[in-house]
Amino acid sequence: MLLALLLCYGGFTALCLSMDRHHTELLGRKPSVRRRQGMRIQGWLLLALSLWAAVSATGWGLGLVQWFAVLMLSGLLLVLLLPYRPRLALSLAGVSLLASPVAAFAQC
Amino acid sequence: MKEGFRQAMAWLHTWAGLVFGWLLFAIFLTGTLAYFKDEISHWMQPEIPARAVTSEASLTLAQEYLQQHAAGASRWLIDLPDAREPGLSVRWQQAPAKPGERGQFTEKRLDPQTGAEVQGRETRGGDFFYRFHFQLQMPYPWGRWLSTIAAMVMFVALISGIITHKKIFKDFFTFRPRKGQRSWLDGHNAVGVLVLPFHLMITYSSLVIFMTMVMPASILAAYEGDERVFFDEVFPASSTPEPAGKPAQLTALASLLEQAHERWSGGGVGRLTVNNPGDANASVVLVRDGVDRVVHDFGSALTFNGVTGQILGTTPERPLPLAIAGAFYGLHMGHFAGPVLRWLYFICGLAGTAMIGTGLVIWLGKRQLKHAKSAVMPFELRLVEVLNIASMSGLLVAVAAFFCANRLLPLDMAGRADWEVNSFFIAWGLSVLHAMVRRGRAAWVDQLVLAALLFCAVPLLNAMTTPYHLGATLILGDWAMAGFDLTCLGSGVFLAWAAWKMQRSGQTERVPRKQRAQSIALDRGPY
Repeated sequence: MLLALLLCYGGFTALCLSMDRHHTELLGRKPSVRRRQGMRIQGWLLLALSLWAAVSATGWGLGLVQWFAVLMLSGLLLVLLLPYRPRLALSLAGVSLLASPVAAFAQC
Repeated sequence: MKEGFRQAMAWLHTWAGLVFGWLLFAIFLTGTLAYFKDEISHWMQPEIPARAVTSEASLTLAQEYLQQHAAGASRWLIDLPDAREPGLSVRWQQAPAKPGERGQFTEKRLDPQTGAEVQGRETRGGDFFYRFHFQLQMPYPWGRWLSTIAAMVMFVALISGIITHKKIFKDFFTFRPRKGQRSWLDGHNAVGVLVLPFHLMITYSSLVIFMTMVMPASILAAYEGDERVFFDEVFPASSTPEPAGKPAQLTALASLLEQAHERWSGGGVGRLTVNNPGDANASVVLVRDGVDRVVHDFGSALTFNGVTGQILGTTPERPLPLAIAGAFYGLHMGHFAGPVLRWLYFICGLAGTAMIGTGLVIWLGKRQLKHAKSAVMPFELRLVEVLNIASMSGLLVAVAAFFCANRLLPLDMAGRADWEVNSFFIAWGLSVLHAMVRRGRAAWVDQLVLAALLFCAVPLLNAMTTPYHLGATLILGDWAMAGFDLTCLGSGVFLAWAAWKMQRSGQTERVPRKQRAQSIALDRGPY
């Protein structure tokens, strides 16, 4: 469940950065079209990967439930952090992506 | 045409949400609390010790106890302890005086380690919230009908809300605080959209749970108006055999657990029913506890011969529709959820409650703006305001009062459990009166402060009246007890923060208005 959570949070942050408005707010400049597309693909990939992580850990029944749960939690967390602690929101995404290989190793 | 449709849906969302919003807020909040029903019960009956024991050992103790105290009963029911509910509870039913009547039930709680009776304080515990969640403290079946209608309206409000929301993906990550009405709408959209899978699941599944009550037409048509025949066919384990009248020794029940464990590929037993104990025609029904899987298996049971221990019957393989209904039931109840997932359920429930609450605040805020200049609010807006305050902050006060009453009421008081419930409703009723007397924002602040104080008082009262204070429970690792205290403390701090925000935003609203008045006065000044 931890791995799925880390990947979900990273994925949502990437999707968030693929939008003009949020990219400007968070990083202070407009993204190029290629960067936006790259972020979008990365975001969706990470979300798909987190689904795989949840399902492979506990099977389809419980895995799907867990995936939806961490999906909702990571979304809420990101949206609540963005206006108050934008830097923390970004660095959390970085940390979670860095930590995900460790979590993946622990899960396997 | 498209815009017209969207406007129609917005109208539907607004009014369906308003009329049922207050009730839905209470249903969502109590339902959220019910996810920790067993933990709340444990906190409210601290006399019953939490102990780690095996099912087999406690079942043997229960059998010994029942053979001594309830040998002549027509039926025994044994609820085995599990990780969340550490109590071992036994019930027995006397043979009815006249055939066709229901026999008298007696219930006792046993210590799962020693088999001795334990006397917990009289309380409804977390079961109160669970029952209120769908029965609304009304006589059967009215509460169930009302809550099901509310669920239907909730479903309508969800769908119409999705249609009304123009920029789901564009505003997916948007929350702009400190912008007044704008922030409330952002918050409403954010919790609505981000937790949408939960909202849809919980609302739709609540309709599935009561489907035989709401839409019995197909059952009535197929079974010629007799629903009992349908239920007997679906749940064969619930029918009782006739006693033979010859005494016989009951088999050791603990040995049956192993067999059930094997047949259910690891699934545990939640409840045992022994029909005609001590008779040659005894039978034992083992019901699965269902914590090991998401899909709830309705009435999944194994029946054994009570004397020989031979297996008599299993529930047949379930048809697909029943499995789907079971999946929705299982998802709604969350019996399978471990501690982490249970907390996520709790958070999602709170998000749903917050969505309803913000919706109610938006409805009023929009309309209040039009009347900001006039001194008196129109009656209908004042009514909505009173109901908003009482249904939200008033309910929080009532919940906290319920917990405080559990520690404050004398232990030997007659009708103690009822008085706990009464204190809940008295506190709620008083909050309505208070909201009627005080003006809007002041009433909000008062009630939030009161709720914050009461929630913070809960761990203090616990420490003063029982030996199970935070210091002790944290060291013992009794996480249900400690978690409850800490959650109450956290809620108290959060509510205090909310009250402070409310107070401050009231002041900043007033300041610019005063400044404007001054500048107008200056303009008029000497000229």
